[in-house]
Amino acid sequence: MIAYIIRRLLQMIPLLFFVSLVVYTLVALQPGDPLEGLIFQNPHLTQEDIEALKRAYGLDQPIYVRYFKWLGRALQGDFGISRTYAIPAVEFIFEQRLPMTLLLSGTAFLLAVLVSIPIGIFSAVRQYSIADYVITFLAFVGYSTPVFWLGIMLLLLFAVWLPELLGLDQPIFPPGGFVTPGVDPDTVGLWNYLKDRLWHLALPAFTLSVVSMAGWTRFMRASMLEVLSQDYVRTARAKGLSERVVIYKHALRNALIPIVTLMGLAVPGLFSGAVLTETIFSWPGMGRALYDALVEKDYNVAMAALVFLALLTALFNLIADIMYAVVDPRIRYS
Amino acid sequence: MATATATIKGESLWSLAWRRFKKHRMARVSLVVITILAAMAVAAPWFVQLGWIPDPNAQPSGPDIGSQYFLPPGSPGHPLGTDELGRDVLARLIFGGRISLLVGFSVALSSVVIGTIIGALAGYFSGRGFKLFAGPFSGPYRELFSALGLPWALAATGLGIALGRTLLAGFVGPALMVTVLALVLLTRIGDWGEKAAALLWFGFAWVLFAGFLWLVLDISARLELSPAVGYGLAGLLLIGGVLRSFTLDIDVAISRIIDFMLSIPSLPILLVLSAFMRNTDSALGRWVTASFGEAASVVIIIGILVLFGWITTARIVRGQILALREQEFTLAAQALGASEGRIVFRHLVPNTVAPIIVDATLQVGIAILVEAGLSFLGFGIQPPVATWGNMLTGAQDYIFYAPHLAIFPGLMILITVLAFNYLGDGLRDALDPRSRL
Repeated sequence: MIAYIIRRLLQMIPLLFFVSLVVYTLVALQPGDPLEGLIFQNPHLTQEDIEALKRAYGLDQPIYVRYFKWLGRALQGDFGISRTYAIPAVEFIFEQRLPMTLLLSGTAFLLAVLVSIPIGIFSAVRQYSIADYVITFLAFVGYSTPVFWLGIMLLLLFAVWLPELLGLDQPIFPPGGFVTPGVDPDTVGLWNYLKDRLWHLALPAFTLSVVSMAGWTRFMRASMLEVLSQDYVRTARAKGLSERVVIYKHALRNALIPIVTLMGLAVPGLFSGAVLTETIFSWPGMGRALYDALVEKDYNVAMAALVFLALLTALFNLIADIMYAVVDPRIRYS
Repeated sequence: MATATATIKGESLWSLAWRRFKKHRMARVSLVVITILAAMAVAAPWFVQLGWIPDPNAQPSGPDIGSQYFLPPGSPGHPLGTDELGRDVLARLIFGGRISLLVGFSVALSSVVIGTIIGALAGYFSGRGFKLFAGPFSGPYRELFSALGLPWALAATGLGIALGRTLLAGFVGPALMVTVLALVLLTRIGDWGEKAAALLWFGFAWVLFAGFLWLVLDISARLELSPAVGYGLAGLLLIGGVLRSFTLDIDVAISRIIDFMLSIPSLPILLVLSAFMRNTDSALGRWVTASFGEAASVVIIIGILVLFGWITTARIVRGQILALREQEFTLAAQALGASEGRIVFRHLVPNTVAPIIVDATLQVGIAILVEAGLSFLGFGIQPPVATWGNMLTGAQDYIFYAPHLAIFPGLMILITVLAFNYLGDGLRDALDPRSRL
């Protein structure tokens, strides 16, 4: 197992090399010159100054040379300076944005797990009941809803319509951001601060979790139905075990095996899918950072964000495979 | 007994499937919904001509222009209201549906065709490598050279080198086209032609190899590495390349590419790709913009969605073909002397059509969702072309006083994608031979 993990970690090196090469090329070929803003702000620059600037930034070199120079610096943890925020890009992404994305995706993940597994079991046990039909339909709807539209609709409901209807002077959930300006642990106390953070987290986390929630509910139902039709479950029932023991001790354990892999593989999707959710709720995470960086041509930040996203994706693919072996004793990696 | 079996009427796969499909109520409803949406999309220009809906891009003019913006649903002449520029929301919804369905169908169709071809080739040729490159002093090259005789061998290699040179000179398209054409034609004329084609390919590969060597030297020089490192590396590569030959198992190559595509974050990459394709400084961007004008962004979106879309199909088809090629009917076809192309595309691929159809249906929904997401962020289809995604772009800013701008486009996306997902579900049940419906 240890040998397998080490081999997989080593395989990530060429993978990340190629990802970064492809991404660097694409980012370098983005429309507009990175010097455009500089030239625009200073009309006194002559053509020679611009050429000198290009040489200083290495922009006169072909892309593949710039890539290797970038790679050399990136390996030492230097992703360049963010032009928008005037701080090192790695500090901006790693210290400011990554924790926010982890918080959002992590909460969404937990929420989806906590909702989809019990509901999936319930739906399977009561197959063909009215509740089962309603759950299956809702799962289909959740799976087909555009995430960003769902976010806007929730805002409309909780920040506009319901407060109006109930005559409240403030929204039930805030229309965006991660904390009310001016609220911090020193002024309102730690408890109130945490409550305010949770209040801001609720809608974005729910929005991000809906697609996974719906997909996993359907999958959990199918997996549970498959297991419930097997002989050993009939044996357990024939032995006279209570339905509770049959379902939660005998069936559920095997039904969970395929779900665990599915969930592990879905985590990277939560990170990269967060681009849309973070944009709707102005949540200062990595996806939002990438979007802003592409719009504002802040390419050092865009590269840092993309490389971290690729790294997270590769890591969670590995974790999914390891979890698969942990929950299923038949799987052996060598 | 014989008379009893003769009276049992056989049922074809498709009539059986249709019978099962009709039992899936939601799938039946979805088929009707999709038909209506498609009919509206096709007929949209006639609706405008008949005066039923205004032009989707028509903006109000005249002295009372201000009162024409943000009209609520139910206003006279505008059943679903108007947007921030006074354009009719209903007309834009109908025309947006044209784009969404066009993108959905084009992406699904192209992804499935490309994915099937790639998956079938990977599955069928798995474990049988192709000689990709053979250095001038390597065994395979010497054998071919002596087998063909000096004049013809020299001519084939020379032609290959000439084609490689035109490729490096930047005539990428023509060089590749001529090469492929020459290889196909030559392999068609039997044993002799196959040898000539192999030599032509090796000559072509040499030039690419030389280009790669030059790149290594250039990079090491510009990075100011010590000359010993650069020339040492290039020298080793040169010796290896001259003496060795390379065999490539296309299944391994394709599987690696699929693994690679699956382990990169797709949505962020799509954002970057879409911005790159619209770059009019690049040859590709200029060509797209010049050829398709206002619709360029539609073509770009279809292109980049297909880039990620073929993977699921390819995986499904590859798995099926790997199992099918071991079965007796494949052996029978080989024994009867069928060509490999015939075996793959007449005998094997038709057996994978059921999962392909289900996959294609689900891909329509996914493509519509991703297109809407990208257009919403402003990285997809550009205004003034109306799509459900880009109608939502500004809508969030107006939810306090014009919520109808946000509600309807999203609702249309939801209904359409839901219909395709249910249709896929119904087809899966109907086409499953083990289904007892």
